[in-house]
Amino acid sequence: MISVHGTVEAGTFSREFSIDVGNEIVGMFGANGSGKTSVLRTIAGLCPLGKGELRVNDEFVDAQAKNIFVLPEMRNIGMVFQDHSLFPFMTAIENAAFPLQMRGVKRATAVEKAAEMLEQFGVAHVAQQMAPTLSGGQSQRVAIVRALIGSPSAVLLDEPLSAIDEESREDVRNHMREHLVRLGVSAIVVSHDRAELDHLCTRIENYTR
Amino acid sequence: MNKVGSRTPRFVRIGALLGVVFLALPIIGLFNRVAWSTLWTQLTDVATRDALRISLYASVCATVLALVLGLPLAWCLARLHFAGRRFVRALVLLPMVLPPVVGGVALLGAYGKSNGLLGGVLDTFFGVQLTYSLWGVIIAETFVALPFLVLSLEGGLRSIDTKFEEAAAVMGATDFTRFMRVTLPLLKPSLMAGLMLAWARALGEFGATITFAGNIQGRTQTAPLAVYTMLESNPEGAYALSFLLVAISVAVLVGLRDRWIGGAAQ
Repeated sequence: MISVHGTVEAGTFSREFSIDVGNEIVGMFGANGSGKTSVLRTIAGLCPLGKGELRVNDEFVDAQAKNIFVLPEMRNIGMVFQDHSLFPFMTAIENAAFPLQMRGVKRATAVEKAAEMLEQFGVAHVAQQMAPTLSGGQSQRVAIVRALIGSPSAVLLDEPLSAIDEESREDVRNHMREHLVRLGVSAIVVSHDRAELDHLCTRIENYTR
Repeated sequence: MNKVGSRTPRFVRIGALLGVVFLALPIIGLFNRVAWSTLWTQLTDVATRDALRISLYASVCATVLALVLGLPLAWCLARLHFAGRRFVRALVLLPMVLPPVVGGVALLGAYGKSNGLLGGVLDTFFGVQLTYSLWGVIIAETFVALPFLVLSLEGGLRSIDTKFEEAAAVMGATDFTRFMRVTLPLLKPSLMAGLMLAWARALGEFGATITFAGNIQGRTQTAPLAVYTMLESNPEGAYALSFLLVAISVAVLVGLRDRWIGGAAQ
């Protein structure tokens, strides 16, 4: 469960949000500058919540009044960043295996699991390629694998299908949905593409400026 | 027809050529004075071998010490906003612009055995004397080399996009793991360039070393000090050792350029 009730702030931007997400895939739709990405960054712990309270799985992770701020590395969240943010000095498979290694899984096991997931998402053939040599779509699929692989307790996806071509989008979307349902976690998908959210999400929240 | 921006005026070409000649002539002059037939004998002389051993050992130790002190310093300068940051940066840059002999005098004021701020304490309580010792050479070389490493690392840290560290944090990487697994690989080109510059500066150090650690053969006499000393008594040896120092510097430059600082060198 993800529960955000408070002020999301990023630089000069500030906006009140009130969101409750159960074990479902919730879409956030809105124009550029409506604060969608900032909400995800706040939930991940990359920006502190201005006022109010933020809970993940019934635990307070950010509540200024209670003097609580749980560091991002302690929140067990999976996230697809808008620009993918793959580590440029690693191969695709090393990127995908990284969250498992951070959870103490041995390198060989992590790589094996990463290879399996890269296969499912149709990017096994680029597993050994360095991240900067991947195409936009390949890079985005690796980023999706990286967000899901560590069995996180919540998943945040910022424009997760924007770089994937029309033909393979449905396939990637289905795999993503399948994984999210199997994990049984709260997921928030941010997009400016309403049709995409209709296909993927169980519920859509509309945020316009 | 060439674009205006890509045309190079004649006076620029001539100026560049003069610059190359100015830099190359002393090296050619040095090579010209090397007695090639006795080169090996000169380089295997006891005084030369001692100086080379001390120089290599002290410059490597100074570079490691500069890294230990310089990395945290560069991190704070690049990423923390604190009162007095400009003062700290000026302090870091000072050894770069200070005449090295003055640096040596300043080191005597701090670590000198008889009247240094800390030197007396070190001698009385720990029996450590930095002046006229190998440690003195290392301290003097660190003092002058540190700014080069800090400047390079600070620039590198500023240019790293923090989004990668943020992504690593969300994936569960702790501060230390994030630094080792993400920041350090991103910092590698600046780190290697900084280490190389710092090591080269330490290897060539003269003024601060002779003032603070002296010029004792087999103890504190580094290669540049040996060259200076031999120039009077054994010029052939001085040129032989100088040639070796040039060769080492060129080898390091060539060896590291493509691997780590290719982007900067191209």
